[in-house]
Amino acid sequence: MSPSFGRGAMTNSWSDLKNAEVFLIAGSNCAENHPIAMKWINRAKENGAKIIVVDPRFTRTASKADIFAQIRPGTDIAYLGAIINYIIEQKLYDQKYVLNYTNALLKVSTDYKLEDGLFSGYDAKTRKYGTASWGYQLGPDKKPLKAESIEDPDSVFSKLKAHYSRYTFDTAEKISGIPAAKIKEIADVFCKGKPASILYALGMTQHTTGVQGIRAYAIIQLLLGNIGKAGGGINALRGEPNVQGSTDMANLVSNLPGYLPHPINTDKTLRDYLVRNGSFFEKHIVAQLKAWFGENATKDNDYGFSLLPKTNPAVNATMVKLFEMMNKEQFKLLFNVGSNSLVSIPDRQLVRSALTKLDMLVVSDLFEIETAQFWREPGVNPADIKTEVIMFPAAFVYEKAGSMSNSSRWIQWKDAALEPLGESLPDLDMLDHLFKKIRKLYAGSTDVKDAPILKARWDYGEHTSALKVLQELSGYDETTGKLLPTIGDYLKAPIGTASTGCWIYAGVTGNGNLAARRNNADPSGLGLFKDWSFAWPGNVRILYNRASCDEAGQPVDAKRKLIWWDEAAKVWAGNDGGDLVDKTKGPDTPEGKLSFRMNPEGVGRLFAATYMSGLPAEAPADGLPAIGIRPAGICVDGPLPEFYEPTESPTTNILHPEVSISPCALVVSTQIGKSDKFPHVLTTYGVVEHFCAGGITRNIPWLNEIMPEPFAEISKNLAAKIKVVEGDMVEVSSARGKITVRALVTDRLQSYKVNGKDTETIGMPWSWGFASLSPGPSTNEITIAALDPGAGTPEYKVCLVDIRRAN
Amino acid sequence: MARKTVLIDTSLCTGCKACSVACKAWNELPAEKTQLLTSYQTQNAFTTKTWTYMTFVEKYEDQKMNWLMRKAQCFHCADPSCMKACSSNAITKTESGYVVIDQEKCIGCGYCVENCPFGVPKVDQVKKKSYKCTGCIDRVENNLLPACVNTCQPGALSFGERDVVLTQAKKRLAEVQKTHPKAQLYGEKEMGGTTYLYLLLDSPEVYDLPVNPTVPLSLTLWKDVIRPVGTVAVGGAAAAVVLGVFANLFRGNYSNSDHKEGGKD
Amino acid sequence: MDVSRRGFFKLSGLSIAALAAGLGFDPAVAEAKGYALKLEGTKKIPSICHFCSGGCGMLLYVKEGKLIHLEGDPDHPTNEGTLCPKAASLLSVANSPDRVTKPRRRAPGADKWEDISWEEALDIVAKKTKEVRDASWKVADQIVNAKTGLTESLTVNRVEGIAFLGSAEVDNEESYLIKKFCQLIGTPYNEHQARI
Repeated sequence: MSPSFGRGAMTNSWSDLKNAEVFLIAGSNCAENHPIAMKWINRAKENGAKIIVVDPRFTRTASKADIFAQIRPGTDIAYLGAIINYIIEQKLYDQKYVLNYTNALLKVSTDYKLEDGLFSGYDAKTRKYGTASWGYQLGPDKKPLKAESIEDPDSVFSKLKAHYSRYTFDTAEKISGIPAAKIKEIADVFCKGKPASILYALGMTQHTTGVQGIRAYAIIQLLLGNIGKAGGGINALRGEPNVQGSTDMANLVSNLPGYLPHPINTDKTLRDYLVRNGSFFEKHIVAQLKAWFGENATKDNDYGFSLLPKTNPAVNATMVKLFEMMNKEQFKLLFNVGSNSLVSIPDRQLVRSALTKLDMLVVSDLFEIETAQFWREPGVNPADIKTEVIMFPAAFVYEKAGSMSNSSRWIQWKDAALEPLGESLPDLDMLDHLFKKIRKLYAGSTDVKDAPILKARWDYGEHTSALKVLQELSGYDETTGKLLPTIGDYLKAPIGTASTGCWIYAGVTGNGNLAARRNNADPSGLGLFKDWSFAWPGNVRILYNRASCDEAGQPVDAKRKLIWWDEAAKVWAGNDGGDLVDKTKGPDTPEGKLSFRMNPEGVGRLFAATYMSGLPAEAPADGLPAIGIRPAGICVDGPLPEFYEPTESPTTNILHPEVSISPCALVVSTQIGKSDKFPHVLTTYGVVEHFCAGGITRNIPWLNEIMPEPFAEISKNLAAKIKVVEGDMVEVSSARGKITVRALVTDRLQSYKVNGKDTETIGMPWSWGFASLSPGPSTNEITIAALDPGAGTPEYKVCLVDIRRAN
Repeated sequence: MARKTVLIDTSLCTGCKACSVACKAWNELPAEKTQLLTSYQTQNAFTTKTWTYMTFVEKYEDQKMNWLMRKAQCFHCADPSCMKACSSNAITKTESGYVVIDQEKCIGCGYCVENCPFGVPKVDQVKKKSYKCTGCIDRVENNLLPACVNTCQPGALSFGERDVVLTQAKKRLAEVQKTHPKAQLYGEKEMGGTTYLYLLLDSPEVYDLPVNPTVPLSLTLWKDVIRPVGTVAVGGAAAAVVLGVFANLFRGNYSNSDHKEGGKD
Repeated sequence: MDVSRRGFFKLSGLSIAALAAGLGFDPAVAEAKGYALKLEGTKKIPSICHFCSGGCGMLLYVKEGKLIHLEGDPDHPTNEGTLCPKAASLLSVANSPDRVTKPRRRAPGADKWEDISWEEALDIVAKKTKEVRDASWKVADQIVNAKTGLTESLTVNRVEGIAFLGSAEVDNEESYLIKKFCQLIGTPYNEHQARI
């Protein structure tokens, strides 16, 4: 999403789903994993909306669909490519939107090409792309050249057209197993309904081509003009209660809070950092350094930039890679707060082995999760495991004050309703106490390495106050020590005079705690609820809503008005907060035209070009490298989505057999299976009755009652072949391991043809582990650790397996 | 309180089973040990501790899948055979249409179990009490929605005055029949009209529901002809015994050993 | 679980109705009054669900510090009082006998846990953090400059031996402090399940 629109977040909101005329739910089983979605989808359905579900299985969501298509896991880009091709060929795109709000007209570098499945710039040795040739043709002002029309062969639109001309419905059928006629039907129904909404979740991201799949969605929705509109958008249904917030807070190796790039080893100074990342980030990183180091961050000391650790960008230490590094004995101490990797990481033998390499594992959780007791998993001799384990008892969500950000980007505050059970405490208190203890251990040190600890601003009260932390995120005027009232005040403050721990949350507590607002009025009837809690950015409920208006700033959809330019008052008014740089800049100003203001081009990106805005025409006289304003988000595996087979695939890529799988995929698993021994495709997922790794839900008897055990869903054909009836136990094996579960024989999975060959998909939920009130085998015993090269997301959704009756 | 109705619109149900959990949570019922039975179904009968559960039927025809989900619970019949069968006047029907068991009066004789056409009530053999869905009468009478209705996210369950709900159900049925020609209401007339009314996507047999559920004739005789006389004539305790004897004679397995505590009112 | 004991079914009007039986009234119509609600005397406190990213509102009914009942918050605009099965089950977490309620330590090679105090647990972890931090401190990366071909020493000031897995299941304030904690002690190796 970020390389297309500028932000990596669900564009619309839960309650906005009711505004849609048609849904494409593909890569999401929302009836299971986001049940609340069905409330709003059903409401749209009762108003006549059509529901299209594309899934490897007929799911509980599919049971509510008007059109269902069973797809071979991991082949989404094939059928989506065919839909893009159809939209272009049949001219079903929104011409005005495409011209005004996308980069369709910008001219692509003449060095750019795709040949035999490889984009220009590929280095076979590093399995990485150099992205220089994916840029625009730039004018003398360093701005992209604009073509006269979309027919210009250099234009983004022409590149798009040429790229997807290879994706016919027939080709897509051969790859995906969805009949060509069905793909056409999906295209027709989806393109006809306006606004049209796409819903996806992990079904789309958990692939080695996950990011590109989302890019394909973005291209479709930009072509159809569905972004920025009520009832439209790409709704990335995020997995966990605060995954939006924890991502905003950057519990990720590549970022600092607020999506600031993490400093790397070549960033010797703040200036180097800005050369690399653009001046846009200057205010925000300085404000963060002020929040962290207070008066110890001054202009003279580069605002304490040297106090931040710098990463080595060659080391891509994403979640699964961390365990690989751990297994190679890099880490001696692991903190594990609120996750259960021993169940949740693919090819989990890696986790089991890696944890034994630690000196100490520190866990904080509610229940004794599998990860906390890895040393006594059945079959393990505790005496052999030298890792010391400390477990802190964590308080549950309603036993602590604080805020969480839901998928709609609503920052919702809650007070503690109960005292924490027993001696359990919020993680906030644990971290506060721990940091203070560590700081005490370093008291008096003059060592440079200890300066960040000793110079930090860290004061959250005697009894750790979540509100004080949220206020730090909201931001202070550092000249007065007072809270900044709004994000506008923060943006206006001169650099170095304001602090915020996470700039996109600026102002959340500036005028009282806006996250705690409980006014559920919805005067527009569009489900915006703008006085309920607070949505980042700046309480905008529908992202990119400038694109809901025409060039004159008036709503395109009279029934669903989000914002509009009030010519008399000379201001953008509306039912929603405007996603605008400046509310007083009209549609005839450069600022007032920006539909996707977070992108350096200011428009949606059909083609994810390499680009830095704001570079001066002439190099600076002082000889230092120039600082641009903002770099474009890049997909490391190509500027346009291309179909690649999953890492373990039952067939060969018919588009380019020589480059069958993603040329950039990061394969961590050492055991890779082939289809001769493991002929079936396994896909894994959650069920509505349990949550993720089951650490909480498997300890709730009522939930174990309604879903007591893991299972393998198989077609009747496959069941007959291996002589299994419903209720029998089956052994499912991959190159990495095997587990035994109950067979669920069903018509909801059908045999299908892939490139002419009969193929079977097996489905298995993954939420079980050896501990809890309801233990069961972990499906991640057999899944593959192969990662998306950009996001680091593992390919949980596809691997090859065999299955037989267990005795 | 006027007659109430709960509409279970199976065309909107996603089979999430939240109704089951909400029921257990409100009524403080413990979980039971289960296993997968068929499809995503883990329970196939009511118990003293399970008053509602979700059924799943997979029907694949003409390359089209229909996954039929139905929340099962007491229908709260307008003409309830359990009430007619009850030997101790423990089962009553409220104005709002709820059929409830007074646990203080119930003697666990099991006639309600025997006579319910839907297999709803179950007797705890230790406590000698019969249990079933109460319709959350305690909530309803205090102007709260039944726990199952209250929690339903996809909007498959709705609650209201009977005539309003019926109108809404018929309107919805017309819509649903466009894609599911066999869709029908169940409970509009059955058993005198049930408080829990279904919009089914297919015929009742597909859901394993009786096509024409009826009150056994024996019960009609007793309840409407003999028992009122008995009640006035000999009082509650004696009436219970009389009814018990009669009902069991009909079944041919008379035993009065369970009825000792029958008429303490 | 003894339902009758809980007094939900006190049909105070019932005997009156029964007496009326012979007087031409329907004997089976109970009085519509007298159903005691267990929520009486509770305080309603709103909270937010802890499962998917719906952010549904929950309402907790609390009496004398104890959670009596939990259901959807009817005022919440997203869920309007409804809850999925997982959220509807959350009453049980507050009083679960299976919760970990004391800090614990598992010694190297041991086959069981021992309970320890918070103070002790924090001391152990703080000491270990310092020990690993001091031992694995990296001042600079040695990187070959692609242009010049020369090895450059680039100051990095980071800890190599500590990793921190945060969570998408804790509050914003906690996620933020995790990040800040990591950056201050010098480890960039902070990830969490959003990635997967």
